[in-house]
Amino acid sequence: MMNTQQLIASLSKNVPRVAPHALARRIGFGIAAGCLVTAVLVTAVLGVRLDLRVAMQGFSFWMKWTYSISLGVGTAYAVAQLARPIPGSLRGLWLLAIPMLVVAGVGIHELASTPRGGWLALWFGRSWMICPWLVLTLAAPIFVGLLWSFRKLAPTRLRLAGAAAGLAAGAWAATIYCLHCPETSAIFVITWYSLGMLLAAGAGAVIGPRLMRW
Amino acid sequence: MAQSEAQLKIWMLGGLEGDDDAHAALLRALAPLLHSFYRRRLQGSEQDVEDLVQETLISVHTRRASYDRKRPFTAWLYAVARYRMIDHLRRRRLSVPIEDVDDILVSEGFEEALGARLDVESLLNTLSPKQARAIRDTHIDGMSVAEAAVGAGIGESDVKVSVHRGLKAIASRIRGA
Repeated sequence: MMNTQQLIASLSKNVPRVAPHALARRIGFGIAAGCLVTAVLVTAVLGVRLDLRVAMQGFSFWMKWTYSISLGVGTAYAVAQLARPIPGSLRGLWLLAIPMLVVAGVGIHELASTPRGGWLALWFGRSWMICPWLVLTLAAPIFVGLLWSFRKLAPTRLRLAGAAAGLAAGAWAATIYCLHCPETSAIFVITWYSLGMLLAAGAGAVIGPRLMRW
Repeated sequence: MAQSEAQLKIWMLGGLEGDDDAHAALLRALAPLLHSFYRRRLQGSEQDVEDLVQETLISVHTRRASYDRKRPFTAWLYAVARYRMIDHLRRRRLSVPIEDVDDILVSEGFEEALGARLDVESLLNTLSPKQARAIRDTHIDGMSVAEAAVGAGIGESDVKVSVHRGLKAIASRIRGA
């Protein structure tokens, strides 16, 4: 290895400027780049639902998007906090309880206005078996995008940062998956979408420490 | 000579703006700081210490974007240094006790970086008036224990105990936050 003075001299040549919001920008870019890949996968492999234009005028589509996008924004914030060597406060995350409670409330309302015999159909829809796994799979490109973001950042609590990155990737993957998924019930969303996001968070917690070491 | 938090931060901010000289001055000032930080904590060879210093300088350089300009520089620096040391020990499968960043800042002589990290007033408000006053007098306004005791009309040992318990309560609050 070269000596320390030589190292310092070589590091101090043409030092690039770091913009004030470089951290947020880098995380945003990592997520956006991953989302682009996920969107291509959804359109090319799964296909966009044919009635998307009609669905986008309906309640359930926006209920799903509100849920997944608010989780996506909240967890991206958590990722940004955990990307610093001394993580910032995560106290604001309790706000994420609001979209969850709202969707749960809508779900209870749906159940109340459906005869008991229809409950299982409401809950399981037609795709409960694949929905969580698709969310997990579609989260992978976004997680990779976040790994790229972390390359110039300094997470020190790697398992937690991995879990947060996985959860954020899952939430954004679910957002894009909405373009394909024809399910409409809130109870479906809060169960199977959330399960997919949790799987992504778990995967992130397991592989995060290995992949995010620096 | 060791540089102050204020000077190091000025150089760091200069480097972030793309100033080569400020960046070089920062890294040159950090090398001895990191050297003594690692030498005091690792029983390993001088070569290990030197490697860690260089790895940390590289981390400081490549991961500058993770520094929040509103916060003290040395707190960020020692959090990076602490992580590098943990990673080093993990690779060597060694274990030594490693303090929190807060304790590191104190033992490396950067207490002033601690206060700015925290919203001091709101933390003090969570304590009893006696503890808050004892901490404010001795740690913020710079009174001696004797002066604080006279000012508050209580005994010196009471001041010391109040400070100790108060700081402990604050520490656990921060960790829990």
